Amino acid sequence: MAMRQTPLTCSGHTRPVVDLAFSGITPYGYFLISACKDGKPMLRQGDTGDWIGTFLGHKGAVWGATLNKDATKAATAAADFTAKVWDAVSGDELMTLAHKHIVKTVDFTQDSNYLLTGGQDKLLRIYDLNKPEAEPKEISGHTSGIKKALWCSEDKQILSADDKTVRLWDHATMTEVKSLNFNMSVSSMEYIPEGEILVITYGRSIAFHSAVSLDPIKSFEAPATINSASLHPEKEFLVAGGEDFKLYKYDYNSGEELESYKGHFGPIHCVRFSPDGELYASGSEDGTLRLWQTVVGKTYGLWKCVLPEDSGELAKPKISFPETTEEELEEIASENSDSIYSSTPEVKA
Amino acid sequence: MQTPPAIPVPVLRLPRGPDGLSRGFAPDGRRAPPKPEVPGSPGSPVGRESRESREQQARAALRERYLRSLLAMVGHQVNFTLHEGVHVTAHFGAADLDVANFYVLQLQTPIGVQAEALLRCSDIISYTFKP
Repeated sequence: MAMRQTPLTCSGHTRPVVDLAFSGITPYGYFLISACKDGKPMLRQGDTGDWIGTFLGHKGAVWGATLNKDATKAATAAADFTAKVWDAVSGDELMTLAHKHIVKTVDFTQDSNYLLTGGQDKLLRIYDLNKPEAEPKEISGHTSGIKKALWCSEDKQILSADDKTVRLWDHATMTEVKSLNFNMSVSSMEYIPEGEILVITYGRSIAFHSAVSLDPIKSFEAPATINSASLHPEKEFLVAGGEDFKLYKYDYNSGEELESYKGHFGPIHCVRFSPDGELYASGSEDGTLRLWQTVVGKTYGLWKCVLPEDSGELAKPKISFPETTEEELEEIASENSDSIYSSTPEVKA
Repeated sequence: MQTPPAIPVPVLRLPRGPDGLSRGFAPDGRRAPPKPEVPGSPGSPVGRESRESREQQARAALRERYLRSLLAMVGHQVNFTLHEGVHVTAHFGAADLDVANFYVLQLQTPIGVQAEALLRCSDIISYTFKP
C-alpha cells in the first residue's frame, strides 16, 4: 500500500514567489513568510500553511523576507529601495530603512537586535534595531549586486553572495576574511548553524561548504538548473528545485536521488525545510507556495494517515527498526492506527 | 509483477487562504495581546460564564504549549529525574497519545546504555532539555 505525496498548495499571491523563510519553533508553533513580486509578503502558520496576515506597505516587488527566531518580527527587502521591519504579531510596520537601490536580502541576528541588508547597491548594511535613527554600518567590497546575506558563526561573521562570489566577513572588524569564486551565477545560499554548513546552488550544482573556512565538503549535480536547495535539520536529506518545475529530494550522505515531484506550474525559486524537518516549502514563478511532507504518509499538520478498509494487502512486518527509509516510516505511521489487521510478524534482517 | 496504485496521502482540509477583506493578523488570534477585562460583576451569570470561558481558553493555550514542547523535544537530549534519586539521560523520540510513556533512544542508565526504551511517565518526576 504505497502512499503518494499530496502537496498542500497555499494560494493568495498573484505574482511569482521569490523567497520564503521559516521562523524558529515558538510556543505557538512555527511560522512561514513568503516574499512575492506582488509587493505583499504574507505570514502563514508553518505546519498548516494557513494564512495569518499580509504585510502591507511596500511599493514594489518584495525580493527577500525573513522572520526572527521567535516570529515576533519580520523583515522584508523590496524593489522600492527600502527594507522594512514589521511586528509579526500585529502586522504593523515598525521601521522603513531607506537604501540607494533595490534591496534583495534581509537577515536578523539571533537576538533580533541587528538587521543585515544587501542589494543592488553592492553594499552590506548593518542596522541597530534599537537605534533606528542611527546610520547603518556599511561593508563594501562586492563588485556586483548582492543576492543573499546571512549572519553566521553566532552572528560573529557574515556570509554574502553576489553573482559570482561568496564572501565571508568578520562582523567586528567589518573586513573580508575569505571568498569563493564561481564560473556560474550563484542562485541561492542557506546557512545551517548546527555543523556550520553552507548550502550553495549554481547551475545544476548543489554544493556544501564549511561556513567557517568556506572549504568544500561535497556537491551533487541535479538533472536541471537549480535555483534553491535546503538541507534537512538532521542532515539526512536535502531538497532542491529549479527551472524544470520539479522538486528533488536527495540522500545527503550518498547523493542518491530519493524522490522527485512535479506539481508547480513554473520554475521553483525557493525551497526550505521547516525547523522540525517534517515538511519543506517551495515557492514558484506560478505564484504559489507548496508544502511537502518529508516522510510521505505520516500524520502531521493537515496530512492525516488513514488506512484503507481492505486489509488483503497487509502481510507486512509489524516490527520495525529505527531506520529512516520511506517504507518503514510509513509502516510505523500505519501502526498508530487500529490493530484489526492480523499480521505475520516477520523480522527484517 | 504489478505494483498496486499508490494512494494519495489524505488531508484534513486545504490551507486557508487570505480572506480577501482584511490584511489579517486577527485581533483574537492566539498571539494577540490579552484583551482588557470584560465588564460585568464576577458573581453574575454573565461574569461567571466569561470567567469560565477565559479559564477554558487559558487551559487550551497551556495544553497546546505543552504539546508543542513535546514536539520541540524530539531528537534532543533530555535529562530525566526519576524516583529514588535516579537520573537518566536519553534522546527523546516520542510520547504516546495519553503521554503515559516516552519512547527514547540511547538511554544512559547506571547499568549501561539502552538503544531504545519506553519510559513510564508515572516514574518520571521531572525532565529538562535545552532546545
